[in-house]
Amino acid sequence: MVKGQENDRLAKIIRILFWPTVIMVLFFLLVPVYIMVKVSLSAPEDILTQHPPFLIHNFTWDHWIKVFESGNLWEPFKKSFTVATTTTILAIMIAAPASYVISRMPKKVKYITILTLFLTRMFPEVGIALPISVKFLELGLLDTNLGLVLAHLAKELPFIAWILVGTFETIPRELEQAAMVDGASRLTALTKVVFPISLSGIAVAAMFVWLDSWNEFTYALYLTLSDRTLPLQTYYYIMRGDWFQSAAYATILTIPVVIVTFFLQRYLKSGYLSGAIKG
Amino acid sequence: MLKNFGWKTIKKYKLEIAMLTPLVLYIIGLTFVPIFNTILMSFQDPLTKEFGTLDNYKYIFGRPEFKDAFKNTLLITAIGLTLEMTFGLIIALMLMKKFRGRGLFRAVLLVPLGVPTLVSAVMLTYVFNTNGYLNELLYRLNLIQVPIDWAGGGMKTILMIVVADMWKVTPMIVLLLLAGLESISDDVYEASAIDGASTWQTFWNVTLPLLKPSITIALILRAIDAFRIFELPMVLAGRSTPVLSTYAYQEYNSYNNPYTSAAGSTILLVLILIFILGYLFIVEREKGVK
Repeated sequence: MVKGQENDRLAKIIRILFWPTVIMVLFFLLVPVYIMVKVSLSAPEDILTQHPPFLIHNFTWDHWIKVFESGNLWEPFKKSFTVATTTTILAIMIAAPASYVISRMPKKVKYITILTLFLTRMFPEVGIALPISVKFLELGLLDTNLGLVLAHLAKELPFIAWILVGTFETIPRELEQAAMVDGASRLTALTKVVFPISLSGIAVAAMFVWLDSWNEFTYALYLTLSDRTLPLQTYYYIMRGDWFQSAAYATILTIPVVIVTFFLQRYLKSGYLSGAIKG
Repeated sequence: MLKNFGWKTIKKYKLEIAMLTPLVLYIIGLTFVPIFNTILMSFQDPLTKEFGTLDNYKYIFGRPEFKDAFKNTLLITAIGLTLEMTFGLIIALMLMKKFRGRGLFRAVLLVPLGVPTLVSAVMLTYVFNTNGYLNELLYRLNLIQVPIDWAGGGMKTILMIVVADMWKVTPMIVLLLLAGLESISDDVYEASAIDGASTWQTFWNVTLPLLKPSITIALILRAIDAFRIFELPMVLAGRSTPVLSTYAYQEYNSYNNPYTSAAGSTILLVLILIFILGYLFIVEREKGVK
């Protein structure tokens, strides 16, 4: 705050309320996470009572042991992992070349293309998932990894293209032109110069897509009869009212997200590009 | 590029076209075509498969669940957006100040971004359950004697969904608004201080107008997601408080009727379009007046 404004009434109120607000916001943000972990580590008498204690009184690993011993974890985990990874690889393969072309379009055409990509975000997912589900039922694609990958791609492609257009825009045309002056073909200039430079941007986009596919719920719900993904398995335990299993599964679902987000931060900091231009 | 579109152009840009085509075809095939199908299906007779009937719409308009879903969607969007934007702005403004523990505050703020929406719904079922932790807190503070059934329907269920949504998305709004705040130059604030503006005047006449582009983006992105809200009501409220998305899902899943489900989705789509066009229209017109 600049001098002179420090002493009117509003400034005083802000100063008094500042720290209580900070503490309340921190409390509001952290308590749900704490409760989830706590439920997954508490004995039933701590939770299934009229007046649950706020701290863990009876600690137990039972719910976690049950998760790993029941044999219900591995299949959904494998399905979610396979679908998310396949979706990510295909999304990059389809979206990266196209995003490059979009980033090099004349300004007006580019603007319209990006707006169209954004338009797809306004469509309700239930409206897209419905015809896909009806169609995939006919084609026998329900419950398959392929069906889910196809649906997830529909969701992720506009998103990843949107990020990648931004990445490619930051790469100066001079770089590829220089490569072509040196005798490289357009395709070589792309694969040997442009894509290596944009690798960190592509990696960030890939991780976003992977996470989104890993967490995806709506399409999975429409396209699954029995072979559940990890989010659906979590949902299944919620609907059965099994607090402990749902807490443990929800925690498992969150762990890869935390790990990937951690790596994402490191990538976001790398100043890959500035070096390329200077050199 | 689009002018004189002929063989020459295609030949010249054949690499570009080859690179662009898969994405275009995919988005048309698995996004635009399905949405178009949904709209068509909503006008299709379930038995004769003929187009041009309004029976699906008549049917859902006659359902009390649909009226509830429509009302709930509007309420959740209106209340949710108001609270999220207000708190998002307050927290963003707080982060503009330098204070001890600011780094920690910012790091904790990012936590909900790393939590899947479904998981945030799971967490908040523990908080809002009848024998959950919010009731226990209220009981210990002597505010209630009988536990409140938050998921029982009505306004309190809507508030519950709004709080759950706030937990998950307010940090996103904070980041969007913070980027906008950081781009406002210090000179503007100094100028307003020299003119003797009060804290409130500075906020109302300087910060807010300069922040308008960021607010518009945050508001539109959030409004779209709020209208389409699905996981949170599914997990937290079940059938007691349907929204348009969950209503459309139930029509398909429980009653096995894709045609009425399509009608529900189409209404949701129209609602989103009306909101965005209406909002942009108002914002643009204000610009014209000035």
